Amino acid sequence: MEEKRSTSAGGVGGMVLCTLIGFVGALVVGWVIFPKILFSEKTQPIRFSHTVHAQLGIDCEQCHHLGPDGRFAGLPTTESCAECHGEETGDTSANGKEIDKFVKDYVKTGVQVPWLVYQYQPDNVFFSHAAHRGFECTKCHLDVAKMENPPAYYQNRLSGYSKDTMKMWECERCHASMGTSNACYVCHK
Amino acid sequence: MGLDRRAFLGLVAGGAVGTMFTPIPWKLIDDAAIWTQNWSWIPKVPKGQIDYVATTSKLCPASEGLKIMRVAGNPVSAAGNPDHPLSRGGVSALARSEVYMLYSPARIKSPMKRNGKTFAPITWEQALIEMSEKLGAAKGSVASISGDATGTVNEVLTALVGKLGSAGAFMMPGEATSAAKALKLMGAQGQAGYDFENADTVLVLGADIFETWGTSTRNRKAFGATRPAGAKPASNYIYVGPTRNNTAAVCDQWIPAAAAELGVVAMGIAWHLLKAGATSNAPGFDTFKAVVNGGFGPEDVKRATGIGGDVLAGIAKSLMASKAALVVTGSPFGQGMGAAPVIAGMSLNMLLGRINKPGGVYMLPELASVVPGALSRAAMLDGDLPAFLKGVASDKTPAPKALLVYDANPAYGLPEAATMAKALEKIPFKVSFSSFMDETAALCDLVLPNSLPLERYDDVATPYGSGFCVYSLVRPIQKPIYDTKTSADVLLALARKLSIDLKFDNFQQVLKEKVASLSKASGGFVAKDVMPWQVAAGKPAPALVGGDLWKALEAGYAWTMVGQVAQTGMGFAAEVVAKAAKAGKPAAGATLAPYAQLRTGTPATGIPCQDLTTVPDTELLGENTLVRLNSETAKTLGLKKGQMVKLSAAGVDCQAKVHIFESVMTGMVSAPLGFGHTAFDYFSQGKGANYLSLMAVAEEPGSGMSMWIASEVKIA
Repeated sequence: MEEKRSTSAGGVGGMVLCTLIGFVGALVVGWVIFPKILFSEKTQPIRFSHTVHAQLGIDCEQCHHLGPDGRFAGLPTTESCAECHGEETGDTSANGKEIDKFVKDYVKTGVQVPWLVYQYQPDNVFFSHAAHRGFECTKCHLDVAKMENPPAYYQNRLSGYSKDTMKMWECERCHASMGTSNACYVCHK
Repeated sequence: MGLDRRAFLGLVAGGAVGTMFTPIPWKLIDDAAIWTQNWSWIPKVPKGQIDYVATTSKLCPASEGLKIMRVAGNPVSAAGNPDHPLSRGGVSALARSEVYMLYSPARIKSPMKRNGKTFAPITWEQALIEMSEKLGAAKGSVASISGDATGTVNEVLTALVGKLGSAGAFMMPGEATSAAKALKLMGAQGQAGYDFENADTVLVLGADIFETWGTSTRNRKAFGATRPAGAKPASNYIYVGPTRNNTAAVCDQWIPAAAAELGVVAMGIAWHLLKAGATSNAPGFDTFKAVVNGGFGPEDVKRATGIGGDVLAGIAKSLMASKAALVVTGSPFGQGMGAAPVIAGMSLNMLLGRINKPGGVYMLPELASVVPGALSRAAMLDGDLPAFLKGVASDKTPAPKALLVYDANPAYGLPEAATMAKALEKIPFKVSFSSFMDETAALCDLVLPNSLPLERYDDVATPYGSGFCVYSLVRPIQKPIYDTKTSADVLLALARKLSIDLKFDNFQQVLKEKVASLSKASGGFVAKDVMPWQVAAGKPAPALVGGDLWKALEAGYAWTMVGQVAQTGMGFAAEVVAKAAKAGKPAAGATLAPYAQLRTGTPATGIPCQDLTTVPDTELLGENTLVRLNSETAKTLGLKKGQMVKLSAAGVDCQAKVHIFESVMTGMVSAPLGFGHTAFDYFSQGKGANYLSLMAVAEEPGSGMSMWIASEVKIA
């Protein structure tokens, strides 16, 4: 009996310690390791520098423009990029080489650049930029104008979406704070 | 320290509790839910810049102006163009399918040559060589059939066939055929155009004006404009026909009458108009009056049609009391009418003084031809294709040595299909210019795929029914998906190979010349702020400004003209009606009353795949089509709901399931058209029966034209 009690007392301490280890271990796995497993890291096909373009005074909407109904603020086409970068430069700097790669691989072949888009919404969402014109782009989007290199693109291995795709709760929270309706049909088709 | 049981349980418990404070469970649940949206078989919306480009529907006979939505340059959907006078934002089920049809499994992907019972792909150059050899040898005996009632392509086709020695240049029969024959017999000039927008009382004799007759999308818009929701209607529509079809369903009054008796009904109404003092200076009025009074009094009409004199008197009173009455006559299923009922209906318009008047019938001029040697539309409509093919089948007419079929499917879309197929088999060399592998293409020696309207330049000139002259452009908004070409370009290349001068090298040049000829027509304008029906009602027509009409047409606007051909000799042609409009014998079985709907396509398109989902199970159930009878007819014939029956006529049997439907007049069996394809893709093939094949072609007394408006069928 005494032996048993002794074991039990030592066991409680051990159990508390193991519980703590399990708890902390789970936190480490959940917050540190799990995201690395869940998301695959990808890089853009062309190292496009938003900074360089922003410094030239180009606004976001000059390339990511809205359609007449405000439904598009997507990607510029190869043709529109080629309006400025239509010929190889021969420049051996890092930026020059990247421009030449773009001209050689996409302009000359007439292929669209398979850009990785950080915030495409699911098909069942209707998002109009026209309704959100009053906000700064950076309210929702990464402030890429301050980034020399495009940020890494993290793709959720399970859902297939970008890590930066805005979640429904974020839309709902903003709508609630702005006094805008959160009825299903406001955002969903 | 070893890991005993308690320590292990502590580790697990700690891990479990810790996990609850991490994103793992919540994120996995959320992502798993999102994952279900991304299964590979779920259609994806393409990403990219959205834009809208204008064109005109060529697949739909209603010829609506379209706005095609593109994403990253790829067309994804078609909607009605609000700026186009034949659409005003409206679109039919068929026009809406223009985009989806690009990817139809029935599309012909390259030129093909018959090899025994199958086809083998060949190059365009090989096809041209083959055609030039065969057509060169067939000189003097080349016929053509066109299924395009509005395109300038007909000028290229008929000019070529004419220079090869035409054995006949035919149009697939439709409403325009009966109307053209009727007007010719009446001594009228021009194409009948119906001004629905300005009419206040419209009597519709048979024509399914809101579904398949003429400019149906525009007709609906005109109807809707006079019927604002919650307000008093500004128009009165009366429908006379065998079924409460899509037109009758929204009209103020439906008067059941057999399609074969519509001429009798019109003459019966004329009796009341004459009694009320209606008169006319047009030639033949005295004969007309004598014919009407001699055989179309209330008792005569009641005996023939079952319609009481009081009903017809009420219609006559409505027509006479209105400011802008209009009478429209047409076949309930879009073909086979004959000329006499149209003459009878047009006679009512003449008695009411409604020719070339706002809200009445305008006699529209044909737009000038630009290809030398081309047949006019009127000349093409004068050809009688069913009679020609019946003659070939029975050896009364020599079979042509070669046949060019453009955008037409006579092996499916004509009555007495078996006879027509027999006639086609007698023609030694046949070429089909079709976009889809249809029943006729399957019988041909060469199949040369036409690019679809979204991939080619084409045009639409004044579709039948339009109340004004209208011309709109069809333009390519993407490159051809497959190895297809614009057939008109192929015909022009063929002409060059045969050393025939058709003046033009390509079809775009032809269209540019056509557009240039329009800018010279006086009174023409681009419909933007002012619409043609407003001009008809008295608003001044704007000038054709800017000079660049082509650009305006490419932007989706239509050239229009409220033209009218002055009528010098338009008369009543009552002698034709007197011979043709006679009460038939009561049917021993039942009379077939087919109906057509745009959602089941046309003979040239098959059933658009996405429209198949809109077909109700009271029309198509499994692989069987349903025919509609009212309970009285079913009781007389001993039929029950859901019973499988065999319909027999013209030496053909068709299967059907019985559907009891009280909106069909007694003695009629109403059958849907557009089914029973043996060609096209699995969306069209093997679904129900082609009831058009049960219809027997007869010669209409008086006019001599082929008619198949009503056929008696045996049901067992």
